[in-house]
Amino acid sequence: MKLWRLWGEIGESLRIAVSSLVAQRLRTFLTTMGMVIGVMTVIAIVAIIQGLNQSFAAQVANFGAHTIFVDKFKWVNTSDDWWMMRNRKNLGFRELEAIERESQFAVAVAPVTRSFQTLRYRDKESTGIAVQGTSEMYPATSGVTVASGRFLVDVDVAFERMVVVLGSDVVEELFGTQDPMGKRVLLGNVPFTVIGALERRGNFLGMSQDANVYVPVTTFRRVFGQKRSITIAVAAIPGKLDQLEDELTGILRRVRQVSPEKPDDFTLNRQEQLTKLYNQLTGALYGVAVGVGLITLIVGGIGIMNIMLVSVRERTREIGVRRAIGAKRRTILLQFIIEAALVAALGGSIGTLLGLGAAQLVALLTPLTAAVTPSAVVLGLGFSAFVGLVFGSWPAWRAARLDPVEALRYE
Amino acid sequence: MKLADSLIALEGIERTYRVGVEDVHALAGVSFEIRRGEWVALVGQSGSGKSTLMNILGCLDTATAGTYRLNGTDVRDLSDDARADLRNKEIGFVFQSFQLLPRATALANVELPLVYRGIAPGERRRRAEQALAAVGLTARMKHRPNELSGGQKQRVAIARALVGEPSLLLADEPTGNLDSATGEDIIRLMGELHAAGHTILLVTHEPRLAARCPRAIRLSDGRVVADGPGGDVAQMNVTRAVGT
Repeated sequence: MKLWRLWGEIGESLRIAVSSLVAQRLRTFLTTMGMVIGVMTVIAIVAIIQGLNQSFAAQVANFGAHTIFVDKFKWVNTSDDWWMMRNRKNLGFRELEAIERESQFAVAVAPVTRSFQTLRYRDKESTGIAVQGTSEMYPATSGVTVASGRFLVDVDVAFERMVVVLGSDVVEELFGTQDPMGKRVLLGNVPFTVIGALERRGNFLGMSQDANVYVPVTTFRRVFGQKRSITIAVAAIPGKLDQLEDELTGILRRVRQVSPEKPDDFTLNRQEQLTKLYNQLTGALYGVAVGVGLITLIVGGIGIMNIMLVSVRERTREIGVRRAIGAKRRTILLQFIIEAALVAALGGSIGTLLGLGAAQLVALLTPLTAAVTPSAVVLGLGFSAFVGLVFGSWPAWRAARLDPVEALRYE
Repeated sequence: MKLADSLIALEGIERTYRVGVEDVHALAGVSFEIRRGEWVALVGQSGSGKSTLMNILGCLDTATAGTYRLNGTDVRDLSDDARADLRNKEIGFVFQSFQLLPRATALANVELPLVYRGIAPGERRRRAEQALAAVGLTARMKHRPNELSGGQKQRVAIARALVGEPSLLLADEPTGNLDSATGEDIIRLMGELHAAGHTILLVTHEPRLAARCPRAIRLSDGRVVADGPGGDVAQMNVTRAVGT
């Protein structure tokens, strides 16, 4: 019987709430808009940022998540460090060979050295091409894959052959639909033969990864100079990245004769550092954007509270009648809270749909991607229901506190 | 005099309102009893205290002093929730301005007291249909209040008051918003209900209506000044009115 009463009261409240919302369509619409805009903002922002995160994670994985890059410079650094790192001893083949010889946790070790050059093919030219001098081990450390032809092999390195592998942007720009294989190109002013082309890799942190070309490291040093420091890319056995880092530190300190009391004179760069930097940058943005959305929701909540106060006033006599007929205070409380929650949930649902739509639209019109995660939807709906309950409570409480005699007499 | 089948027993009921710094005695010691099955008119001019008394009898308000027993229950010490339950079970209200919920059908209006009592939906509907049939509105069950005439609205209100089988029907100027012919219908309906055994308290300022009731109680300045056969009390009302 108690259950029937509660059930009956909830059913009655829902019925009354729906009919009063329907009767006041315009008012309901306007009240709901606050919630709609708030929830829409939150959902859209969360979807876009999670989309960014996912594509970033994908790019990082593509870039070689299991790889440690031994370098003079730290990727993410403050300007204070820069001079100190600049004065470090260059990294060279001695270190590379020591790692190849001694490391237990490395599956591939590749030298990488880089110079920006102009690339020409017949009358076409591309400036600012990143020429990478490396070895046949490079694909294993970086995740590049060959689209046609082949990558560098050990013989190319050993005999300092004048061959080059092109990134997909370079192929497109210089050759269009032509097959580049076997063609002669000029790097700087030195002729090279194209032996392969790579699959498209996309952007990383907004920089194209497809405007690179790859030549044997030995050739690179002969043509573009010996003096520069090389980067050593070391791919770890999956899951052994930390062990590899310890091991590399040991090997390098010994080879470079760093005395025990001195700090490392090299840096082991990892993808994680970029991820951390990225998270720092987007985290703040994320927080601000979601905060703005939540504030909008609260403004929407105030709108609901306002309209509920009006509704309670308008229905004062109805409240009196209900009390006379046997409604308890909590019955009246329940009725108005349900009405407020209904408005909020309605706004939340419409806002969720529009938010997902907005995210898709942004994804369609801009390079950004949108990821719709259940957590964003739960967040939007949950928060709107919460706002409805919180801001509906006070008007409902006022309704419940009305004196039945006064309420019945109210004009 | 205590009667075994006393439904309402009032003893020394006082009700004091505080207006500014002054105490206003709306009721200054009212005592009477109403037995089960009686049809009693409560008459008096505005300001006589009859609305205050009606609110106390309806358990909407509590007396400042005195005791009120409704169907054996002392009302004074009840909590707000307990009084709500008591109203739901023991009292059927009929108001001057009908007080139907505007957006609910006649049937839904009549079902409402049963919703608050926790009756299952099927049973609720069956009883509400019965109550509407009893006031002759079977054909109008699905109509909303704005689709009904004044007389029909008041019949819906009476059906709503009766559906929970209360021990007391409390009618506050039930004909006040109706033309005389329709008002007459309502009074005739109340006569039928009385004949069927219902206890009815009719609050009115019209001597004509009070004269129709077997018993009338007259209030003036918060006191009972007359209690007797309806015709006599109503008559006295006229003489007093002439006298003043």
